[in-house]
Amino acid sequence: MNNASFLAVAPEVVLLAGALLVIISAVMLEHSRKEWGFIAGLSFVIAMAFSVLQWRAVDTLIAEGNDLLFFSARNLPVLRLPMVVMDHYSAFAGFVLFAVGLLGLGAAWKLVERLGSRGAEFVTLVLLSVAGLHMMTMSANIVVMFLGLETASISFYVLAGFTRERPESDEAAVKYFLLGSLASAIFVYGAALLFAATGSTSFYGAGGMKNFFVTTILGEPGVLLLGIGFVIVGLAFKVSAAPFHQWAPDVYQGAPTGAVGLMAAGVKVAGFVALGRILIGALPSQIDDWAPILAIIAGLSMIIGVVLAAVQTDVKRLLAYSGVSHAGYIMMAFVAGVDGIGPVLFYVTVYAVTLVGAFAIVGVVSRHSSGGSPIEDWSGLSRRSPEMAWSMLILLLAMGGIPFTAGFVAKLSSFTAAASADYLWLTILALLTTVIGLYVYFRVAATMFLNAPDDDAPAIEAPMTARMTIAAVVVTILVLGVDPWPLLDLVREALPL
Amino acid sequence: MELTLLIILPLLGALVVGFLPKRRPELIFPVSLGVSILPLVASLWILWNFTVGEAGFQFTEDYALSDSLGIGWRLGVDGISLFMIVLTGILMTLAIAGSKSITDRTKQYMVSMLVLEAGLLGVFLSLDLLLFFAFFEIVLVPMYLLIGIWGGENRKYASIKFVLFTAFGSIFLLAGIIVIAITAGDAAGTITSFDFRQMLSLDLSPTTQLWLFLAFGIAFAVKVPMFPFHTWLPDAHTEAPTAGSVILAGVLLKMGAYGFLRFNLTLFPQASVDLAQILGIIGVIGIIYGAAVAIVQPDAKRLVAYSSVSHMGFVVLGIFALTSQGLSGGVFVMISHGLTTGALFLLIGMIYERRHTRLISEYGGLAKVMPIYAGIFLFMAFASIGLPGLSGFIGEFTVLLGSYLTLPVLAIIAGSGVILAAVYLLWMYERMFTGPVLNPKNEGLSDLGFREIAILVPLIVIIIGIGIYPKPVLDRIDPSVEIILDRIQTTTDYQPPEYGRAEEIVQPQDVRAEIVGEHSEEGSE
Repeated sequence: MNNASFLAVAPEVVLLAGALLVIISAVMLEHSRKEWGFIAGLSFVIAMAFSVLQWRAVDTLIAEGNDLLFFSARNLPVLRLPMVVMDHYSAFAGFVLFAVGLLGLGAAWKLVERLGSRGAEFVTLVLLSVAGLHMMTMSANIVVMFLGLETASISFYVLAGFTRERPESDEAAVKYFLLGSLASAIFVYGAALLFAATGSTSFYGAGGMKNFFVTTILGEPGVLLLGIGFVIVGLAFKVSAAPFHQWAPDVYQGAPTGAVGLMAAGVKVAGFVALGRILIGALPSQIDDWAPILAIIAGLSMIIGVVLAAVQTDVKRLLAYSGVSHAGYIMMAFVAGVDGIGPVLFYVTVYAVTLVGAFAIVGVVSRHSSGGSPIEDWSGLSRRSPEMAWSMLILLLAMGGIPFTAGFVAKLSSFTAAASADYLWLTILALLTTVIGLYVYFRVAATMFLNAPDDDAPAIEAPMTARMTIAAVVVTILVLGVDPWPLLDLVREALPL
Repeated sequence: MELTLLIILPLLGALVVGFLPKRRPELIFPVSLGVSILPLVASLWILWNFTVGEAGFQFTEDYALSDSLGIGWRLGVDGISLFMIVLTGILMTLAIAGSKSITDRTKQYMVSMLVLEAGLLGVFLSLDLLLFFAFFEIVLVPMYLLIGIWGGENRKYASIKFVLFTAFGSIFLLAGIIVIAITAGDAAGTITSFDFRQMLSLDLSPTTQLWLFLAFGIAFAVKVPMFPFHTWLPDAHTEAPTAGSVILAGVLLKMGAYGFLRFNLTLFPQASVDLAQILGIIGVIGIIYGAAVAIVQPDAKRLVAYSSVSHMGFVVLGIFALTSQGLSGGVFVMISHGLTTGALFLLIGMIYERRHTRLISEYGGLAKVMPIYAGIFLFMAFASIGLPGLSGFIGEFTVLLGSYLTLPVLAIIAGSGVILAAVYLLWMYERMFTGPVLNPKNEGLSDLGFREIAILVPLIVIIIGIGIYPKPVLDRIDPSVEIILDRIQTTTDYQPPEYGRAEEIVQPQDVRAEIVGEHSEEGSE
């Protein structure tokens, strides 16, 4: 094992070590909650540092003319295929995922403290799930991608049902598990069909899928198309794109609020990055096959997402449906092929950060620290807690795509990508649904700013960690809204090999 | 640097106000008023240092933000935007001074006002389409809060209606901007390019021009507002707090007309010429319709709101007359309407603070109780109608003159708008101020105090000033307007009528024609 190959998996190693340390410290030490937070936070920070090192290492390797960084288990003949890849794309995705993990943990800290000794399990699962998510993004092989997907998903099923004393949480976990397993099965079936069509499970390498299309005339286009379709459906389910979104509102509403932000945001990042890895990394030559599928899913997601969000009376459900529409806005950029990667990464980063912040505020504002967040809880928030109300307003504006928030830049680059790929109908649809989206977000703003607070509304208490998370998110969103150029330049380099 | 500073000043002010100590609420009003004077001073400084007779943009700034996307922090001011920023500065200071009665969440109110000011200034100064759009759109948010939080009875409905109408329009604008930016990017060899001045060299086909004109036009038509997109305006105006109405009527509506002038006429000249007649007709419909509806309004604020529809109709007619008088008259009406309507909203706000009703029928004989108030109100009504010697006359007369050259029938019909303005305003005056005091509630009303008079006097002075001696204003507007016409002339078959050129009427043997000629070459490079 050389240095580079250690570096490729270093973030996972750190996260897994962190997870083990948390469990050990929970067993060995009493009242060790602070230590769990410290270990987990440090793991995320170190993992972020490794992502930066990865990025630089890739720079050096490209400068040396060695632009491929694949790793395979060479001592096992069967597995002599690229398994893991380290490129700018995975390094960038890793950095975002670990940052989201850190923020998500900060938002969830109140819940961890309330859980008592079970809090250690919660923290461990968070670390494991993020490790799984990152595995999806750095996979060079569809089997590794599936392993990452399952590691993350199974952690999330447990997290969704963590406050199982409430039936809603139980329901959320079971629903998520049943539908999520179905999606995983569809994904695996798609992977099998891709293998059948191309004779490889690997994306890269001499016998990999990418090479296959360069050297071979396709014999079974039907099988390939079905495989691509199934893989897209499987991932579309994970990122809650319509019409595979039905689980999202129930899970978001029922799952403990602290966990939802991380779950929703992390899965979106990893899901879209994995989609980009398969479609643009491995199957760029088949763009005419998959771009229309994505365009239709994206269009459906936008319409269904905003229309259903407009009628919700629970903020968590509203955010779930708005997430469906955002999945559409992100997905639409893929139709531009490799030019769409930059917009996708930018959008998904911005949206993930926004979402974690929004759920952190939901956690602070909701009367119950878990369960739903009926919109009445938000009445007159600008009187009860101006800071929370204005923070939420900024995040809502970012989701609505108002200028001077990062959301605007994200929408603009995504829409421009689709428009320059001649998907004008999709762009127009996206623009129109954005208006409905504004209605959705302004409705929440109206409740916060225009309505009088209920008489029995409790005072808002924001724990320190939640406050810091929210402040970090709001500042990020505003800074990226005013000065998005460094990040935009960065994502343009972060292409999958 | 000057223009960047102008945009940043209100934002810094908003920060200062936002971080005032919670325990000293009495500081909020004076500090806000103080910081709102800074951008006013800055805008006056720009007015003072503006070079007269130069057609192009001055004080230009151009910092590339993203080379590959062709986005830049590009600002500049010309004769058209110059008066818009001064108007913004004046009205914002006066509106904040007139907001003494806001007691609920004052800090958030003042922050919203100052952010709004930054957005408005940005709209008028941007020479980058993306930047323009960003400012155009961000204005929505503080305005939404102003109407929604501090508005009247029906504020929730009015505020969301305002947002949805304008956002609906903006979406088309954004689509148009994306399309033209990709086209411009192809020409410049980048992914996209949003540089307005670079776009002037694009050679767009007539069909493309038509579609883009419509995409841009819908956004601006909603903002102006042009019939039939005007229905948000009476609600928003009526429900908004006084300061909100002042800014809405005084500055926000101008964003639409300014957009037509700045972008539609110059970027899509062929489409402008083709559609000029239709838009002229829509403008005249606005004039007559707004005035007719204003006559029957029982609510004084709603009446003034509809009068805005009518006055903005003059602006539209003037712009699409495509003559130099029409265009500069249109800009002049924009200035004059901002001053007079702003003043009328302030006046109605002052009586509303005393009686908490805006129904005309609740009043009567106020001239006896509040003589100063009645006098100023009558003055403002006359200024709004367009009495010679006051600002309203210059603008509307020039528009009618200019539109008679190319659209004579429309000009004649539009002329009746002036008469209708006299009907609705003077009839309102008669019902509210003349006769005996019939309603006992009106008997003890106090006349205007020192602060209120101090707010109105500057407006009176400016209205009389530019009404009697409009030359300094027109001298600055005309070259910028000429350059627009020259561009239309050089890129299309359209010829403005011979005697429609200002320099030939005002100063036949003047060298100004040459000066304008030189600069127009620069501008249309």
